[in-house]
Amino acid sequence: MQRETRIANFVLGALTALSLLLLSLPLSTPVRSFKAGVGYLLDPLAYHGEAGYRRVAGSPERIRKLLQADIENESLRAELRRGEWLSTAVASLSLENERLRRALALRAPAGRFPVWVHVMERDPIHWYRSLVVDAGSDRGVSLNDSVLGPRDGRLVVVGRVIDVRQNTSTVLLLTDEFSSAAAYLSSGTLEGLVQGQDGPRLLMNYLHAEAHLSEGDLVYTSPTSVTFPPDVLIGRVVRVNSRHPFLTFQSVEVAPAADASSLQELMILRALPIEGEAKPPAYAEEAQ
Amino acid sequence: MIGFLRGLAIFIGAMFMQWWWNTHCSYWGAAPQFLLVLTILIAARRGPVLGMFAGFGWGLYLDVARAELFGASALTLTLVAYLVGVARRQIDLRAAGPLAAATFLFTWAGFIGLGLLGLIFTKTFEWSGWIAVTATPFLNAATVTVAALAWDAREDR
Repeated sequence: MQRETRIANFVLGALTALSLLLLSLPLSTPVRSFKAGVGYLLDPLAYHGEAGYRRVAGSPERIRKLLQADIENESLRAELRRGEWLSTAVASLSLENERLRRALALRAPAGRFPVWVHVMERDPIHWYRSLVVDAGSDRGVSLNDSVLGPRDGRLVVVGRVIDVRQNTSTVLLLTDEFSSAAAYLSSGTLEGLVQGQDGPRLLMNYLHAEAHLSEGDLVYTSPTSVTFPPDVLIGRVVRVNSRHPFLTFQSVEVAPAADASSLQELMILRALPIEGEAKPPAYAEEAQ
Repeated sequence: MIGFLRGLAIFIGAMFMQWWWNTHCSYWGAAPQFLLVLTILIAARRGPVLGMFAGFGWGLYLDVARAELFGASALTLTLVAYLVGVARRQIDLRAAGPLAAATFLFTWAGFIGLGLLGLIFTKTFEWSGWIAVTATPFLNAATVTVAALAWDAREDR
C-alpha cells in the first residue's frame, strides 16, 4: 500500500506538473504543437465516428426509400399490365361492337328463333369441319338447328348443330364432308345438293345434265331443305366441272360465302322456342 | 497483451462513446460524463495510478476540443482519480451506493475545479450552466452504477 501510495503521489505530481505546464504556458508554438499532436491522434475518432454515424444513420432512410421504390415499381408494373390488358380488351370489344352492330342490321329468316352466339373453340387441324359455340341447351339450342353467319351485311349458311351440351354446342360446318344441303343456282333455279369436301370448297352435285352452268352463279338454300331456311346464300360457283360421260348430272365447285377461319359470331336458328319465349321479331318478316 | 489491447479498446471506446453521446444524445447540455465516470470506476477498482493515467489521457482528449485551458480537463480527471484512490481506503467504493455518491460529489468537484482553473488561468470562472451542473451529477451517478454492475458481472464470470 505504501508503495502504491508513493507511486500514486509520484504520478500525480508528474501529471499535475505536466497539466499545469500546459495550462500556464501561453499557446506558444510548443504547446500548439503538442495540442496539434494530441488532436492528430484523437481527432480521427470523432471524424470517422461522424462519417460512420452518418452512413449508418442514413441507412434506414435509404432502405426505406429502396423498399418504397420497389413497392412503387411493382405497383406501376401491375398498373401497366392492367393498362395493356384494358387496351387490348377495349380494342377487342370495339371490334366485337362493330361486328355486332353490323349483325343487328341483319334479319333472321322467318319461322325460327334466332340466338346470337360466340365461337369459343375451333380445332385448327379440322378447320373446315366443326367449331364450338357458347350456347347450349340452356339457351334452347337443339340438334340440327341451322347455323348462319354474317357476311357483307347478309346472313350466309355456316352449318348445323350436331351436339348440344348444357352451355355449349358443336356446329358441323357445311364444308365438312358429312355436310350437305339442298340448294339452287341463282341463274336458273336449278336444284342440286351442296356437299362439303373437308376443304375450302364445296361441291354441288346432281345438277341437270343439260343445264348451262356458268361461274359466278350464286348458290342459295332450297325451300326443300329440311335443315336450312330457304334462300340463304351458300356461296358462289367458282368452277364448272367437265361433264362425265357416265354420269347423268353435272357438278360445280362452290366457294362458301362463310369463311370458317374468321367466324366469331353466329346465329343459331332454333326450331323450337324456350318455354315462355315471345315470338321472334323477324318471325313474320320476309326471308332474305 | 490481451489485457493491453482490451484496455486500449476501452480507452478508445470510451472516447468514442463520449463523443457520440455529446454529439447526438445530449439535451440542454446535460449528458453523462463517461470519461469522468470511467476514471472514477477505474480508480476505485484498479487503483489511482491506472485511473490517473487513464484520466489524464481522456482529459487531453477533452482538452483538444477546447479553445483555451489546454490541460484543465487532464488535470481535473487526474486529481479526481487520485482523490478516489485516497477515498477508497476510507470508503467501500466497491458497493454501488457509495460509488454513486462519490461520483455525484466528484462530478460537482470537477465542475468547480474546472471553474477555478478558468478563474486562475483566464480570469473567468468556467460555468457550464445550471442544467448541466444540476443534471449531470445524477446522470453520472446512474451511469457509474450501470458501469460498475457491468464491470462486476464481467469479473464474476
